[in-house]
Amino acid sequence: MPEAAAALRERGIERLEKGIGLVFPFIAALLVASLVLLVIGKNPLLVFSLIAQEAFGSPNRIAATLSAATPLLFTGVATAICFRAGVFNVGVEGAFVVGGLGAAFVGFALPSSLGLLLVPTGFALAAAVSALWLAVPGYLLARYEIEEVVSTLMLNFVALGITGYLVNGPLLSEKSGNNVTPLIHESAELARLIPPSTLHAGFLIGLFVLAAYGFWIRRTPAGVESAIVGQNRRFARAVGISIPGTIILVMVISGVVSGLGGASHALGQLHRFAEGFSPGYGFTGMAVALLGRNTAVGILFGSILFGALASAGTTVQLFSDIPLDIVNIIEGTVMIFAVVELGRIALFRRKAVK
Amino acid sequence: MLKIAIKACVLATGMGAVSATAADIAPMAMIVAQGGLGDGSWNDTANAGFMAGMEKTGIEGRPIESKDVAAQGEEIMRRAASGGFGLVISLEWIHGEAMEKVAKDYADTNWVIMNQTREGDNIASVLFSEHEGSFLAGALAAYVTADTSISGINEEAIIGVIGGTKSPGIDKFIVGYIQGAKAVNPDIDVKVAYAESFGDPAKGQQMAQAMFDEGADIVFQVAGGTGIGIIEAARAAGRYAIGVDTDQDGMAPGNVLTSMVKRVDVAVERIVEAYAADEFPGGETLLFGLEQEGVALSEMMHTKDIIPASYIAKVEELKAEVIAGNIDVWDVFEQGYPDFFK
Repeated sequence: MPEAAAALRERGIERLEKGIGLVFPFIAALLVASLVLLVIGKNPLLVFSLIAQEAFGSPNRIAATLSAATPLLFTGVATAICFRAGVFNVGVEGAFVVGGLGAAFVGFALPSSLGLLLVPTGFALAAAVSALWLAVPGYLLARYEIEEVVSTLMLNFVALGITGYLVNGPLLSEKSGNNVTPLIHESAELARLIPPSTLHAGFLIGLFVLAAYGFWIRRTPAGVESAIVGQNRRFARAVGISIPGTIILVMVISGVVSGLGGASHALGQLHRFAEGFSPGYGFTGMAVALLGRNTAVGILFGSILFGALASAGTTVQLFSDIPLDIVNIIEGTVMIFAVVELGRIALFRRKAVK
Repeated sequence: MLKIAIKACVLATGMGAVSATAADIAPMAMIVAQGGLGDGSWNDTANAGFMAGMEKTGIEGRPIESKDVAAQGEEIMRRAASGGFGLVISLEWIHGEAMEKVAKDYADTNWVIMNQTREGDNIASVLFSEHEGSFLAGALAAYVTADTSISGINEEAIIGVIGGTKSPGIDKFIVGYIQGAKAVNPDIDVKVAYAESFGDPAKGQQMAQAMFDEGADIVFQVAGGTGIGIIEAARAAGRYAIGVDTDQDGMAPGNVLTSMVKRVDVAVERIVEAYAADEFPGGETLLFGLEQEGVALSEMMHTKDIIPASYIAKVEELKAEVIAGNIDVWDVFEQGYPDFFK
């Protein structure tokens, strides 16, 4: 009996830990932002309610928030899948960008007569390019133990360099002085879900990817094995799980997901590739994965939170003189507290053990 | 309080501005392009014009910044229109197509887009006649390169220009520059090169140095961030660069001969004034050239004592000729490529 009670209690603490893990960083961020707002002489409650209204106040605004959250669904999953296997892949940003360019290229360079084939072709090329992109540092890590943090981080700059060159050179739109490719054909555009909002079918694809991720981590051998690799490599090796195989696998899947995200953004949102294609979706995706503790539900909430801050943070400037910096402070603080392993939870645990 | 303010402003536009006092005119929004405020260039210049316009007319206005300008453009524009804003200016090139769409849905809102022409009775398109400003830069360079009494000038009549990439938008500057130089000296040699990048100062520096080695003494940069290296090369070699878009004379005082500035502040301010006077130029393409003071040479703060005043006076004469219509400066963007530059 006491054992059962202890187990129940343990599970309760786990739930609490997950719940607080999600909510605590957000509350901490609101507190920090409140302080800043008070210092500059603004009422935090009014500001927050205005932001909340701009994020969720009407069907249109909710759609705008989900639209801004869409790329983060992909980059959040792409990051989480590596993080939970103990692979610190920070190269999702670069993979997202090269995938986006690949999809946009399919969208404008192939003949428009291909019609509906353009969309799956664009997604397939993007997934392939991005998978290859992250397979390289994955292989280097698995085979030669080359630090993935360094290699993937550096690859982000390579991605920006290559796409920046292409979009200012061979793939430059005739109609512009610099920085953008031609628009994709109309048949290559993803449908909008509730026009006139920019929320597009990429959001549904993102939800599908998220669900598939949730299934993969819980119900498939490879998914469970990768978590074991993440928790204890020696144990994983002892029970016969291939560490190099797992590393390459999660990096390739991460690449595929990043590429799908880039394709969704290119074909659904911008309808072209442009310099500034990603304002850092890959890095925000890291915060989303950390905040969501690598769970599918957590990533969903994390994406919506950051999507809300991005969309509301911009339009709120129309109706008040809150600078964008306040929103940046909230975002930044959420990110910082998302990585904090909570000391008080450790305390709970010790008590429980006693 | 804030909520009440929103409602009040929505109400005001819903009722229609009856009297002409500034307080009754719907507020204005200006969407800041990539790079944000504080870029010391395009956005800041435009914002200066926006602020000046607000001060002059008394109409309320807000610059809108976003970290994700490209993707959020359409949502921002829609929200501004539905939130009761009467004038929405976007400084971001990529918002063009989206603006065409949104403007149709919000016929009572006035829209402004830059550096392109967009269809719509309520859209004003702003174009800058960069070719005219570049013409003056070329003319000034041609006068200066012929005068060996100026320090850093050699005997050969060679000048140069470096573009960021080979495209009509950039060649518009380059052809104007060549035409200006040839107007002064038909035999002048104008070297042309492309950096294939707008963000590579190191490459800009190498290419400019190569041009100086070939006998050029003045190089016009039309290459964005790459141009910073071109200016640096001029400083290091004791030669001259010509800046672009904003007044870059101070980046290497004395070694930037002049800058061909794009006065987006003038354009924004004029449009705000027109809006205040209920004369918004909807459906029109507004050309901001030498005549409208939309393009100009910088004030040459650091070089006006180096350049003989007679040259500056002659360039002023050329400017008057262009404005009077006696000289037609070739516009690659509108007219395609001329015979003298393929």
